[in-house]
Amino acid sequence: MFKKILVANRGEIACRIIRACREMGIGSLAVYSEADRASLHVQLADEAICIGPPAAVESYLNMDRIIETARASGAEAIHPGYGFLAENPEFARRCERAGVIFIGPNSRALELVGDKIRARQTMEKSGIPIIPGMKHVAADFAEYATEAGKIGYPVMIKASAGGGGKGMRIVCSEEELRPGLESGQREARAAFGDESVYLEKYIEDPRHVEFQVLADNYGHIVHLFERECSIQRRHQKIVEETPSQALNPELRRRMGETARKVLAVSGYNNAGTVEFLLDRNKTFYFLEVNARLQVEHPVTELTTGVDLVQQQIRIASGEKLSLKQEDLAQRGHAVECRIYAEDPSRNFLPSSGRILFLREPKGPGVRHDGGIYGGWDVPIYYDPILAKLIVWAETRDSACARMAAALDDYVILGISTTIPFLKDVISHPQFREGATTTGFIKNYFENWQEKEGPLDGLTLALAAAALDELSPSERAGKAGGLKKEVHSPWQMLGRWRIGEKL
Amino acid sequence: MEFEFTVDGVRQTIALDRKDDRICIQHGDKTLEAQVRVISPEAISFLVGGRSFLLFIARDKEKRYVWLNGCTYILQSGKEEQPLAERGDDRSQKGKSVVTAPMPGKVVKVNVTEKEAVRKNQTLAIVEAMKMENEIKSPLEGFVRKIYVSPGDLVDSEKPLLELEAKA
Repeated sequence: MFKKILVANRGEIACRIIRACREMGIGSLAVYSEADRASLHVQLADEAICIGPPAAVESYLNMDRIIETARASGAEAIHPGYGFLAENPEFARRCERAGVIFIGPNSRALELVGDKIRARQTMEKSGIPIIPGMKHVAADFAEYATEAGKIGYPVMIKASAGGGGKGMRIVCSEEELRPGLESGQREARAAFGDESVYLEKYIEDPRHVEFQVLADNYGHIVHLFERECSIQRRHQKIVEETPSQALNPELRRRMGETARKVLAVSGYNNAGTVEFLLDRNKTFYFLEVNARLQVEHPVTELTTGVDLVQQQIRIASGEKLSLKQEDLAQRGHAVECRIYAEDPSRNFLPSSGRILFLREPKGPGVRHDGGIYGGWDVPIYYDPILAKLIVWAETRDSACARMAAALDDYVILGISTTIPFLKDVISHPQFREGATTTGFIKNYFENWQEKEGPLDGLTLALAAAALDELSPSERAGKAGGLKKEVHSPWQMLGRWRIGEKL
Repeated sequence: MEFEFTVDGVRQTIALDRKDDRICIQHGDKTLEAQVRVISPEAISFLVGGRSFLLFIARDKEKRYVWLNGCTYILQSGKEEQPLAERGDDRSQKGKSVVTAPMPGKVVKVNVTEKEAVRKNQTLAIVEAMKMENEIKSPLEGFVRKIYVSPGDLVDSEKPLLELEAKA
């Protein structure tokens, strides 16, 4: 087993990996950009090294710097988390050359599945169903226009190296194609360092169902069932759950076997996720392989009891997979909500700034994977994900109720977050029925505004603020690092005579 | 004593008076009696007729964030009107000639040049924050008088991006 792992990421996922390392008795080395000196992952890790300026291309995407840091500090392996270098075959190759183990698939498999276009070609050859569309990157605009015409509008622009909705655009007419391509390519280049995009038929209102798969270095592959990730905004998932309401045991078995086959034909090892679109007739299409740990991996962990990050590390260190397909089972129901620094009432506009106060929800079956703390400034440079709230319960109904209660108990002050929006999503009758499709947000939550607060809420909030205004000296004392006694407001209100007006 | 706050652009007056072991809260035509306990600098507990409320408070200059039962109120102290833009109100952009970014970020593209005529809702610039591109649209029909930023510049929500002049 490794003695030290470099975690080439930031935020909640870096914290998640550092915790896994700690539990396994492995040293953790965090890397950070100049904008992240105060970030939580730096505080949690055993060691931390600055790798460059805030812009990701100069820090978290700086391959040579990261590999050199691993070598110089004696880290035998690099865990890339998700995003950044997680699915970059060039990075995996450079790690292999430098003798540092990349905790993820081998570079050849990564190259194949990471290149969405080649993956589509390979899958089609192996008899795996794919969505109609381009199987190559076009040379120029004219070719895109021709291809779009052939596929038929609406078409979807997708980043060849992509994921997470970056670079993705729906184009409804030829007029929208050029600006869509330009902005898609620009976003793809910024996110992945590769601007290749391709076009695919846009399937309306499908479900997004993915299968978690683990493969060791010796050809042993198991799947850990599905995750339903249909609730998306801007093609980015915000609520995920397992099991999916759309699958029956037979369909689950068929999709699971297809997922294993996808990894087998790709020569894939380590953790991966096979994404499928499921249309209204329950026909499924291979979408892509996410060759990394997924943001939503905790729902699988809670229902299967398998620690996916620890499995990744074991597989990468050369251990054989100890899990057998026939032993794996789903138990209960898990739901995840992604907490983003975004303003849901302003079209999910990013909301950076200082988290003035944080209280995470607690209780039975509640898990909080966060990369934040009260007093931390959310930087503008990176993905707006702050944390993930995950709950487990015996049934879907009780999991939804538990999630609603946990969201109600979650306090983040100072910046806008998706919490109030998620609360309404979880409570929506269509969601409760399990009628989730990728069009859910668009269909039911266009121009969403936060609901009125509780009865007497404003009155009590005003009273609290007024009492707070009465104690400026105490605040000053706190800011100066002095620990003062907390007073009863009587003492403060008592300074004024009853009935006195200012 | 009386206090004034602005919440969602509406001025609110609240009066607190001590009454035996309670505080009497008067807000508009509503009167509540509450037993109060300050739990910590960020938390305050109210018992109102047996109902228990826990409120969290955070301060940012003249702004107070108060959380109660999953709802966050933003209260501006004193008589100062909270600017529309800070409340996320699009009316703030209407008819305005100085265009600002809606959030801090980085300018990735300026789509217009000085003296260029612009239509209403035409994209003037693209500002990226947290890896998302946001198009800055023209609030009016007119022409570009001055451009203050170029691609690569970091901007906050107050810095002017460009200035327009409405069509006469």
